[in-house]
Amino acid sequence: MPVFLKMSGSITLRSFGRFLVPFTIHRNKGVLCSTILQRSVSSKIPTVSYPKKESTSPPEQRGLDGWKITMKSSMQEDASAVSSSKDEDPLVAIRELIEMWRLFGKEVPEQISEEELKTAMECVSKSSKKKYLKYLYIKEKIKKAKQIKKETKAALKEKAKKDQLLETTKEDKQQNFLFLRLWDRNIDIAMGWKGIQAMQFGQPLVFDMDYENYMKPKELKNTVSQLLESEGWNRRNVDPFHIYFCNLKVEGAYHKELVKRYGEKWDKLLLTATEKSHVDLFPKDSIIYLTADSPNVMTTFKHDKIYILGSFVDKAMQTGTSLAKAKRLKLATECLPLDRYLQWDTGTKNLTLDQMMRILLCLKNTGSWEEALKFVPRRKHTGCMEISQHSQELVNRLKKSKPFNSFPKGSLNIHTQKRWLE
Amino acid sequence: MMTFCFTGIRSLPKFWKSNPYLSVGPGHSYFSLFLKDYCGIRNQQKWFSLKTASPQNTKAVNLLIAKARYLRKGDEGSNQVSSDSHLFAAGAAKKRSQMNTHREDHGLPPVRNTIQLPTRPLNSEEWDKFKEDFKGKANFESWIISQMAHCHSSIDVAKSLLAWVAAKNNGIVGYDLLVKYLYLCVFHKHISEVIDVYEIMKARYKRLEPGGYTLLIQGLIHSDRWKEALLLLEDIKKVMIPSKKNYNDCIEGALLHQDVNLAWNLYQELLGHNLIPMLKTLKAFFDFGKNIKDDQYSNKLFDILLYLRNNHLYPGESFAHSIKTWFESVPGEQWKGQFTTIQGSGQCSGCGKTIESLHLSPEEYEFLKEKIMRDVIDGGDQYKKTTPQELERFQNFVKCCPPFDIVIDGLNVAKTFPKARESQVLLHVVSQLAKQNLQLLVLGRKHMLTQHSRWRKDEMKKVQKQASCFFADNISADDPFLLYATLHSGNHCKFITKDLMRDHKACLHDAKTQRLFFKWQQGHQLAIINRLPGSKVTFQHIPSYDTVVQTTGDSWHIPYDEDLLERYSYEVPTKWLCLHRKT
Repeated sequence: MPVFLKMSGSITLRSFGRFLVPFTIHRNKGVLCSTILQRSVSSKIPTVSYPKKESTSPPEQRGLDGWKITMKSSMQEDASAVSSSKDEDPLVAIRELIEMWRLFGKEVPEQISEEELKTAMECVSKSSKKKYLKYLYIKEKIKKAKQIKKETKAALKEKAKKDQLLETTKEDKQQNFLFLRLWDRNIDIAMGWKGIQAMQFGQPLVFDMDYENYMKPKELKNTVSQLLESEGWNRRNVDPFHIYFCNLKVEGAYHKELVKRYGEKWDKLLLTATEKSHVDLFPKDSIIYLTADSPNVMTTFKHDKIYILGSFVDKAMQTGTSLAKAKRLKLATECLPLDRYLQWDTGTKNLTLDQMMRILLCLKNTGSWEEALKFVPRRKHTGCMEISQHSQELVNRLKKSKPFNSFPKGSLNIHTQKRWLE
Repeated sequence: MMTFCFTGIRSLPKFWKSNPYLSVGPGHSYFSLFLKDYCGIRNQQKWFSLKTASPQNTKAVNLLIAKARYLRKGDEGSNQVSSDSHLFAAGAAKKRSQMNTHREDHGLPPVRNTIQLPTRPLNSEEWDKFKEDFKGKANFESWIISQMAHCHSSIDVAKSLLAWVAAKNNGIVGYDLLVKYLYLCVFHKHISEVIDVYEIMKARYKRLEPGGYTLLIQGLIHSDRWKEALLLLEDIKKVMIPSKKNYNDCIEGALLHQDVNLAWNLYQELLGHNLIPMLKTLKAFFDFGKNIKDDQYSNKLFDILLYLRNNHLYPGESFAHSIKTWFESVPGEQWKGQFTTIQGSGQCSGCGKTIESLHLSPEEYEFLKEKIMRDVIDGGDQYKKTTPQELERFQNFVKCCPPFDIVIDGLNVAKTFPKARESQVLLHVVSQLAKQNLQLLVLGRKHMLTQHSRWRKDEMKKVQKQASCFFADNISADDPFLLYATLHSGNHCKFITKDLMRDHKACLHDAKTQRLFFKWQQGHQLAIINRLPGSKVTFQHIPSYDTVVQTTGDSWHIPYDEDLLERYSYEVPTKWLCLHRKT
């Protein structure tokens, strides 16, 4: 056996295969091997009748090597094609590498575009390359799953339509309705009205967009997704905030991404986007910067304050960035009283922007921490803290000392807002 | 060059056994390939501290062994904790963790229940039946071969599996099966099979992925077709930088076949890619050197030792033995080596020579001070750790005070004993040091001054009387101030904290500065080791010497890692190889 294998390097495969086949069959007594060979070469070579001797060597030993010959001989077509295209284009090389990884069962995408290939090639390290490919792989998988779902849904719809057609032909009765079916549009218009109200009289909520330089493109994209979601939650609320996007540089990375995601809607959004800083728009002493690094714990939601959220997804653990920003501008800072109300388990105390938005909206409307902190992901804590009598009293005392909380909300809002907007 | 010319492949198995290189060949480290992590362990230090890069349970076993060792040492009555070892001695962290927590029995990780793998080649019907019995989500073929690779089944069994797959599949065997089969061949050192698979892969695929290349290189270097391994290395280079493991295999192959120049060239290339060579690569050069009497070669080996010195790498136990053997084999120079320890005074117990001091040179000192100021305290945004106002206040304060002898991290010291009152502990430490006529600086935060049950004003007043104090804002970080104040006071100044300062070390950007910082830290950090509050304060022993590979021309002192001792990345070995020339 080894003798042939050494030769195969020099002899071209085609001739090698032809030369080898009758010879091996003669020597190989394994049933398995010969059947494979017969299958693969029967077209070329007339069936060889070989004697059935089963004594000389252990049959399985011989039979076990059969697949090698077929592996080598069956790729004759491949081999010729491969050897001709020996170009040294790194892109081609990378593509081949990815293909081999895929064959090996690694998590790499099946289809990869030229642009993605270039990005993959530009990855500095091996691990970053793998990470990027895994990301593409997952993306591809999700896309495929969606496609399949879409198709099955379409098929079901088609079927339902057919069934309905049959039914409607039976009954052609006139029915009386009070409304036309225009729910979505009506809801949109209603939300628009509320948004305009908020623009005039709503409590400001600022998103500080001054973190462009701290983020990688991926983090920035995540941030923008979170912003979109936050805006959506705010729009649907009974009493929305008046959202400000401060420090938003026109034609900056943030601006570009937001415009890309919102499309035409961007100019019709009921919020204030400005290049100015929040300290220019509002009095400094009414600003509270919310950051998880703050030493001060937020006890109550104050309706006369302007809360600032940093639009910052921090995957690189740059602790204290937003706190440093607040310190520089000498702003008050607060963090959510997560430890007081929840038995924290895992994860960072940095919440996503949409979670913050929902918590703040809930606080604004109900003032109840227990309700509001339901928006903290369940995986991060094991449950709510049972508030002892003592701390309950403390909370009550704090509430009393800040009477704003008990005022009817609406009237207060208008009152305070007008003072600033005029 | 080709002195080991093989007459035939059949004779190879014998060769495998006779040659010592091959015994370090495919080991556990290879298995990682199937755990989807064949790019090597990224953390260098970790790599070097755990001698065997092995699957999890081996590691756990090692830990247990190491644990047992500590316990035994304790029984012998040598008071290791207080006198012998210092804060950064190898194994000290482990000891601390054992003292602080009651030992929990971390059982071995649960063994995955595997089905009984076949022990002999099966025929198609048997495989068919086997597949029917298999219940699992994964593809049966790749699952079973992964299991076989895991348990190192014999290659005949694997071969019968491939034959069965091929029979079902028009004679085609998938790439992943082929690679895992190749792994088994390499593991069992079955060279003719490796070459067979190599031929198949070469004919079938234009390019492989790094895992396949790595295995082929590892397998081929022991054959007479070892030169082709270099072609494979070239193939890898087209898409990415080969791993240090790839280089290691090629270098070992070149040495095995007496091609010394090629081995050195590959070594240079490896360094050129900024890869840190595996210690076994370096060991291979030393092992090979025994048979070579050549000045040029010796000089290159000295270069390797200097490389170890410059990068603060420490050889393992077997590598240390290789170094010793090589030195002793140099003809006409009469080197004598012994394994020893260094006394507290910094003298080698073997030859009595003094080991290099831990002191930094004036240039290094200035450089470090500058870097700490720029990267740790300022860090691009002064507001992150402090404020510009506070920084200025601090700098003025440090400038107008006399240089200090000891800088105390007030909060860290005060919280040494959880049950005692903070201000009391601080006062105790400060007054004891003040009695020795030392200039003290206590760093703290402003909240320490406000009356509280744990911070009594009268005690803090007494502290302020006996020492200079600087109180930073409550949200400022106090450690950077500690570092700067100590550095500013000069080389004699020490600081007291139990904090290992790893986060601050991480703020320094390059490895060279980090090593400088570590060297300085080893020589200047005092840590309190009292277990009881109120007793006389004693500090952890500070080594006076630098643990690094060093030479005086006719002597070498080389610290090394013991095989069974788990050393953390911020610790240094305690065992030394002392080599000196008889005159």
